[in-house]
Amino acid sequence: MATQAIPRENVSPVRGSSLKQQKTLVDAITYFLLALGAAIVLVPFWWMVKTSLTAQTRLFEFPPQFFPDPIVWRNYIDAWYALPVSFTRFTANTIFITVLAMTAEILTCSLVAYGFARFRFPGRNFLFILMLSTMMLPSVVTLVPTFILWRELKLIDTYDPMTLGAWFAWGPSYIFLLRQFFLSLPKEIEEAARIDGANTFQIYWHIMLPLVKPALLAIAVLSFIGNWNNFMGPLIYLNSGEKYPLIMALKFFEQSLSKEAPLFHYMMAMTTMMSFPLLMLYFFMQRTLIEGITAGAVKG
Amino acid sequence: MVDTGSWVQDYSLTLSHWLLVGAAVILVIVLTNRLLQSLGMNAEAATGLALIMPWVLGFLIFSLYPFLTSFYLSLTEYNLLRPLSLDKLPPLVGFKNYQYAITDDPNFWPSIRLTLLYGAISIPLGLAGSLLTAMLLARDVRGVGIWRTIYYMPAVLPAAATALLWRWMFNPSSGLINTILSPILNLFSLGKPAWFTDPQLVLPSYVIMGMWGIFGTTTVILLAGLKNVPRELYDAATVDGAGLFGQFRHVTLPQVTPTLFYVLITSMIGALQFFTAALFITTPREAGTFLQVYIWQQAFQSQKMGYASALSWIMLVLTLLLTLLVFRSQALWVYYEGELQQDGKKRVREPDLVAGTRASQQLSEGQPTPHGGA
Repeated sequence: MATQAIPRENVSPVRGSSLKQQKTLVDAITYFLLALGAAIVLVPFWWMVKTSLTAQTRLFEFPPQFFPDPIVWRNYIDAWYALPVSFTRFTANTIFITVLAMTAEILTCSLVAYGFARFRFPGRNFLFILMLSTMMLPSVVTLVPTFILWRELKLIDTYDPMTLGAWFAWGPSYIFLLRQFFLSLPKEIEEAARIDGANTFQIYWHIMLPLVKPALLAIAVLSFIGNWNNFMGPLIYLNSGEKYPLIMALKFFEQSLSKEAPLFHYMMAMTTMMSFPLLMLYFFMQRTLIEGITAGAVKG
Repeated sequence: MVDTGSWVQDYSLTLSHWLLVGAAVILVIVLTNRLLQSLGMNAEAATGLALIMPWVLGFLIFSLYPFLTSFYLSLTEYNLLRPLSLDKLPPLVGFKNYQYAITDDPNFWPSIRLTLLYGAISIPLGLAGSLLTAMLLARDVRGVGIWRTIYYMPAVLPAAATALLWRWMFNPSSGLINTILSPILNLFSLGKPAWFTDPQLVLPSYVIMGMWGIFGTTTVILLAGLKNVPRELYDAATVDGAGLFGQFRHVTLPQVTPTLFYVLITSMIGALQFFTAALFITTPREAGTFLQVYIWQQAFQSQKMGYASALSWIMLVLTLLLTLLVFRSQALWVYYEGELQQDGKKRVREPDLVAGTRASQQLSEGQPTPHGGA
């Protein structure tokens, strides 16, 4: 703030005080608007947690309480066992899908990005542009044939469709991000390693990957969130309830037990449980995540 | 009914396949490298091509093949119940599916209308709100990290959670929104709006929910763009006597247009692919269905795979047309410093291309996969 004010006052010392007044006023408006915005963002979160702790009998009271009384922690336990299959299994399913898909994605995307960034081969630019343009393809266009493909392989109702494809470097935006990072590294590092007798794989694994760690982390976070929330995949490929990830359990609950008279206290407990790991991940990895989101959007 | 046996069975099946496919992909990389070198290609080119093999295979299996097949299917009346085999391909019926969608299907135009209106209303509102917030944050406010953390929080929430939460907030009798509005409504002796259950209010409800959900993403991206605006420009503008509005009009706005462009493309594709949230909210029939939801219904509920494929191709064309339109409009409003080409046209930078594309994947739908949702 100070650095901005000083040159201004140097330019026109006469107008200094009125500028200062104006600045105070603008500051006040700024903080007011920011607080208002933050309230709009945060109140629904409060509403979610509050509902998850409200007794069913007090759910539809008007006006609603802004603080649950009594606080019903039991809702979480009841929600956990509300479906014939417990949420232990749903959580395990979600983690299983997420970890497999994420691991394969990070490994292959970084290999492909390294290939695009560091090696000259015929057709490289064409293939790179082609890769970027596949992102334009709405996923729904390939949905039906991809489904038929998995059906012909007799792999419907397994976790395969949600995890195996990750080995084929899905996620062009991840490749793009990693390539940018690889491009920024000096070539001398690899040349030195090569003279010392390291092969391509050793260079990639021991030298290049550690150097692009920030980008790898960003991709890991983005991929974790993406796979955790993936809905279309489980929706069309999974039929048996015990194989559902959390998002499908939520859908199933919403459509069965909660259909006629919505049990919002349970649903909010479930959404809170489903969102909690993501929010934690976000709080601890924000800097990394935000770098990942803004890279490519902003020049420089 | 849940015994640990079934867990182990389910997981080990996929795990073994997963390890096999992983090993196969690595093997393909190694073999391609060897093969190309033995064919006389230089080592660098061979290794490069080998390294991108995972993507090449993925492109062929999960993009190109489904892409072409889906066009073929869109020309047939294929339904899911029949297996698809090469010796018994479903017969071609020409452009009948497309014709039916455009002229006869009573649900087609309403779904296009809902999808486009949703985008046309929520995107400008969202961009304006995000830009304002980002500008406030860029004023060197105290605790910018904390504000940013708060504003981005909704974007981390799963789309399903957002949808259920807002359905509950919009509950006509005891939802939070109507509780807050009730003093105002009582003042004008108006009834409580029914939001998602009132056909007239479905669209505004979706818009409000959607804005809350993706607000943070756009704000964070625009903030990063604003932080890149050189300080000297503001100082120069002040010297020239520009007030706050002048600074906005002549410095902030032009400088931030490339970022705005990126966000516009991203949100546009996101809006067109609006899906997950819609499946968690029951709305009246008359309000229409989002295009992608309608395609999914046709494919997997009515089993009309051919018709669904035709609809998805219409969606593809629509996406391409709109993207092209926005790309073309760049020359009118996007300001690229020092990037004028000789012919005076503004060059499209690589990140802008990605812009379009990174799209909804992470931002609004949370789907990481461009390959057919698999």
